[in-house]
Amino acid sequence: MWRVVAVFRVITLGYVALLILRSSSHLAHPAGGLIALAFMVGWTLLTVAAFSRPSGRQPWLIVTDLAVSVGLVLSTRLIDTTARINSGAPTIPGIWACSAVLACAVAGGPWVGLAGGVAVSAADLAERDAFLPQSTFTNIVIVLIAGGVGGYVVRLGMQTEAAVDRAARAEAAVAERDRIARGIHDSVLQVLALVSSRGRMLGGEAAELGKLAAEQENALRALVSATTTEPDAETGQIDVRGLIEPLANARITVACPATPVLLPAAAARAVGGAARAAVDNIHRHAGDRAHGWVLVEDEGTVIRVSVRDDGPGFANHRLTDAAAAGRLGVSQSIVGRMRDVGGTATVTSAPGQGTEVDVRVPR
Amino acid sequence: MSRGDDEAAVGSGTVRVMVVDDHPIWRDAAARTLSEAGYSVVATAGSGAQALRVAAATRPDVVLLDLNLPDLPGAQVTRQLLAAQPGLRVLILSASGERQDVLDAVTAGASGYLLKSAEPSELTAAVHSTAAGRAVFTPGLAGLVLGEYRRLAQSGTSGQGGQGGGSPVGPRAPQLTERETEVLRLVATGLTYPQIAQRLSLSPRTVQNHVQNTLSKLQLHNKAQLVRYALERGVKLD
Repeated sequence: MWRVVAVFRVITLGYVALLILRSSSHLAHPAGGLIALAFMVGWTLLTVAAFSRPSGRQPWLIVTDLAVSVGLVLSTRLIDTTARINSGAPTIPGIWACSAVLACAVAGGPWVGLAGGVAVSAADLAERDAFLPQSTFTNIVIVLIAGGVGGYVVRLGMQTEAAVDRAARAEAAVAERDRIARGIHDSVLQVLALVSSRGRMLGGEAAELGKLAAEQENALRALVSATTTEPDAETGQIDVRGLIEPLANARITVACPATPVLLPAAAARAVGGAARAAVDNIHRHAGDRAHGWVLVEDEGTVIRVSVRDDGPGFANHRLTDAAAAGRLGVSQSIVGRMRDVGGTATVTSAPGQGTEVDVRVPR
Repeated sequence: MSRGDDEAAVGSGTVRVMVVDDHPIWRDAAARTLSEAGYSVVATAGSGAQALRVAAATRPDVVLLDLNLPDLPGAQVTRQLLAAQPGLRVLILSASGERQDVLDAVTAGASGYLLKSAEPSELTAAVHSTAAGRAVFTPGLAGLVLGEYRRLAQSGTSGQGGQGGGSPVGPRAPQLTERETEVLRLVATGLTYPQIAQRLSLSPRTVQNHVQNTLSKLQLHNKAQLVRYALERGVKLD
């Protein structure tokens, strides 16, 4: 921002120098004009150098800068002829005076910028005999806009920068917290794993504690390794693993590839829903001692999810009985879900062989 | 490969085990369980660097390695342990089961993987298998290995040319036979080796060999990749 002020100051200095040199023969005191110009050159060098460093941007220097501009505007009366002034000739510093206003805006925001603009405009008005030609009026409006709007934009820019900075710091804090949390989670998992395995070995009440610990261990492990279930913003695809991992518990084991298994959102949700229905079925019908396994595979053109349990199973020809037991409804709902997204599902079972659900959906 | 010789070696003497874990409670519990089961726990270590030093001095047969060590990644510890002592077997234990970490360690040469919530009997059985040169697969690991073969096959056909990048000529992606895929799928869905053997009308021994092969091929491929990577960058191999 300060660089913009410096560039503006140098460019306007060149423009004003041109004006003064061209009109010097018409001035009441051509030497005065040249002295004023020389002073502006010196002041420009000084302020550009001072404002280039944060330590040089002192309030007193900025106020002095403004005072110099105001003084130069007022000096027009001494240097130029009254006739030229009243016919709307530019002031001696002309548009260069605006750079002091901009400096105020950058340093202090819209209100300070506006105040600077008012000061320069007031000097401009005072320098003329209460006569307001069109060009002077335009100059005043430009100066006020430079102060007010310039200050506002600068403030906005600085606020944005601060917001970005805050967001970056918040992100870093979250990442750090995640890093610490991973360590803590790992320690907690170690203890829970130990309690659950020792507890089961000891039996009795300790086995109960062990079971509770195992449940918490599974919940925490699922949380730690949680994959996002939100569709990717660009492709709209969902990682199927994220929908199936949460099914794991003390009795259900989930096996997945190490890399994402992506499907369009609708198909992914259908596969996830089918797997959940199959696992619910295990909990409901396969008995308290049954275990289940879910395998997610990416076969390139097909995504395949297999769910198996080691429960009592049922005979495939006894589908009427199965319907009575509520299993047919479940298998139908799985088949229906898959058909909706162009996939297939098969449910096979035999007495004493557990039940297997095989779900496939083309990519 | 003659796995029978390995079996014989195990039978002839006490298996020397080293337990590497940064959590003292777990380290002590595992060491106690293994001692009670008749194994000789020759050393314990709390970090990867310490494990490498102590292993060089004590020459264990089996290293029980926690994946989440404070200083080095599990895969790197595995690779360096095996480079220093090729006959060594590494069994990975992990509490959080971070998939990529597990896969990295196994492709780096570990013989198997077990979750820490495994019961003491499962742990001793796993150490026994590992000492005998048999791979220890959980359903989760079978799923990871299946996925890794598919990933390698896909990255091969789409011309990405593997991790080395650049030249497409490299070790060809390993492939599973139909039977190996079948066996791995059954392991991943929770069947035991005897159950798989029964279902496929094979001997349990054959099932074990199929499982073993799936792991050996991955590890060989990984080694070939590393050698190629090193050669491409002009690293001197010893």
